[in-house]
Amino acid sequence: MLKINNRDKIEWNKGMTVRDVLNRMKYSYSLITVTVNGELVLKEDYDSYKVPEKADVIVFHLAHGG
Amino acid sequence: MEPKKIEIIIDGKKVSVVRDSFLLNAIKALDIDIPVLCHHKDLTPNGTCRLCICEIEVRGRKKLVTSCNYPVRSEIKVETNSGRVRQHRKVLAEMYLGRWPNVPVVKEVAAKCGVTDGLRFKSDLTDENPKACILCGHCVKACEEFIQERILDFAGRGIKRHLTMPYGEVDKHCVGCTSCAYVCPTGAIEIIDDMNHPLDAKMIRNYGMKINAEMATIDKDQCDMRSVGTANIVDVMDAYDLLPVHNYKFGSHSETEKIGTKLFKREYYTQGISDGCWKGCSMSCAKTVDGFELITGPYKGQKVVVDGPEYETAAGAANMGCFDAGFLLEYNFYCDTYGVDTISVATCTAFVMEAYEAGVINKTHTGGKELKFGASNEVLEILHEMARGEGFGVDVGQGIRWLKKKWIKEYGADAAFLQDIGMEVKGLEYSEYVCKESLAQQAGYTMAVKGPQHDEAWLIFMDMVNNQIPSFEDKAEALYYYPLWRTWFGLMGLCKLIWNDVVPADNSQYPPHEAAKVPGHVEDFFKFFEGMTGIELDENKMLDQSARVHNLQRIMCRMLGYGTRKDDMPPFRALGPVTKEEYESRADRYYDKQIKENVGVDPEGKNTEEKMAILRKFREDQYNKVVDAAYKKRGWTNNGVPKIERLKELGIDLPELVEIVRNDQE
Repeated sequence: MLKINNRDKIEWNKGMTVRDVLNRMKYSYSLITVTVNGELVLKEDYDSYKVPEKADVIVFHLAHGG
Repeated sequence: MEPKKIEIIIDGKKVSVVRDSFLLNAIKALDIDIPVLCHHKDLTPNGTCRLCICEIEVRGRKKLVTSCNYPVRSEIKVETNSGRVRQHRKVLAEMYLGRWPNVPVVKEVAAKCGVTDGLRFKSDLTDENPKACILCGHCVKACEEFIQERILDFAGRGIKRHLTMPYGEVDKHCVGCTSCAYVCPTGAIEIIDDMNHPLDAKMIRNYGMKINAEMATIDKDQCDMRSVGTANIVDVMDAYDLLPVHNYKFGSHSETEKIGTKLFKREYYTQGISDGCWKGCSMSCAKTVDGFELITGPYKGQKVVVDGPEYETAAGAANMGCFDAGFLLEYNFYCDTYGVDTISVATCTAFVMEAYEAGVINKTHTGGKELKFGASNEVLEILHEMARGEGFGVDVGQGIRWLKKKWIKEYGADAAFLQDIGMEVKGLEYSEYVCKESLAQQAGYTMAVKGPQHDEAWLIFMDMVNNQIPSFEDKAEALYYYPLWRTWFGLMGLCKLIWNDVVPADNSQYPPHEAAKVPGHVEDFFKFFEGMTGIELDENKMLDQSARVHNLQRIMCRMLGYGTRKDDMPPFRALGPVTKEEYESRADRYYDKQIKENVGVDPEGKNTEEKMAILRKFREDQYNKVVDAAYKKRGWTNNGVPKIERLKELGIDLPELVEIVRNDQE
């Protein structure tokens, strides 16, 4: 199990990447920052960064528009 | 999917680089100093000076490439200072020094290449001026890439190549943005006048150019404001269930792509130009559609130029259920032409449509128009009536608050239902975001002194998606900072869009609470202020400046008989589901879960009406709690009136202001 933004829970699979987490959460926003257990994950690493089981994932959406 | 990163070897060191990034960036990341003349970190490289050449080995074959514009796409070995490289650079440096012997940057770069004179290449072309133009092209690219103009360019070929404006004349389209002078490495382009006489023009210019550079380099990977403007959020809001559909009942729709940015970019933004909202703006987000043929109204049959649409205009179409790009452009054109607000008209019309479908009004009231959701032609008819001052359009033009009163009084309409679905507060129609699932956004909209306007819609992601302001106090802090920040740059006449519609690449280094403020850009705004006035600003000073005005506005509301808690109460549609279909559309995702986890009631076995009643009580209670916390943070009474001690703190305890609020003190 993974916890997203200290609230939402999703099932964890072995080999799950940050990209998989974003897809599962349907997070398609352009201005996001991702940390896994407090560690910043760069955009270019979303496809390769493996998210460990029970990780605390923060997907921070920066507001814009208006 | 191909890997995003590639391993390459530079001077024997293995490094990992992002695929398609330029080789020079990887070399610089290793602190290897390579001579360059035509390279600028914020401009597209083109390898003109060729001094950055390196020797690369691909599949056993060696070749020279200009590293500044060589995209890394395969595993390569790189030598940055081989004998062959040094020889090439030396000859090039001699040639540059032969032509421009006294230009400091040329001398410096030549020295790096081991060259101290260019006598071998001295000729009639030799220019002894220490500020000579060295044809690096920075200015040409800055003009095009920073502010999307083509005022400067090269003319002539070979030895006759030179910098010029069109036809060799001063181009009146030049707005004097000074980007060209800013990037000129030799001083060949000079700024001779700062017309507004700021105290520190250089400071303003430095920070302005920082924004220009961000627009040129990172916007395309962020919000793409330059290509599609604020309408880029239409797709985003739909994906996050926040796009208002059918008078805010729902947050997404299967036909959103018909008013989405991809379609506009493909079919309508044929020239990719902006409407010139601010000449010289590096963002130029207001896009333009040209050659659009109108099918209704006084200009029927004419081909016109139409703005946008901006996000809120497009979202307004969704709110009315009109998923049709042609309608959207016609609607935008006539709203602009008639001088009416696209947001207010859309929100009001969406309310009318729901009332029509619910049987509150019928064709006898609408002048025969069947005003169901999606009735695009009827919406345009209403708009034309509004402008002509006749028919049902005149009523719609009065706004939701007026319509509610009329329908209750004259048609015996259900007042409670109209209050629930009429999306207005303080007489102003809500802007186009569904705030039902975000407590902070509900308060952000409803407590705004000017009403639920679009520039108060920033807390929705922070609260609903990021969950970064979970407590009432967290929300109150956000409801203090963001409205005051918005008030501040509005007061200064500074555009909001460069604050967070493009963000610095390093913004992610900040923890979420700070990152949301975009510290790098807050600094830009503060420096603009300082450069103009000479007064240094920090966050507290800014907040106090703004709070003075904010409190003054609230007192003015009080003076007019408003400005208390009852004026900060929203229609229930802003807090939660009013109808069964609304509840059921989000029951699994939000409502049943909330009843179970937050209210502590098992929803099993309860019918929708029962659950709606439980949820309503809970949400109204939550809303009042967040208002309590926000008033406390703002230094207002529990009834939402500024406390006299707060006015004293801000230095605005003028007798005439104190008098207005004296009787409201607790």
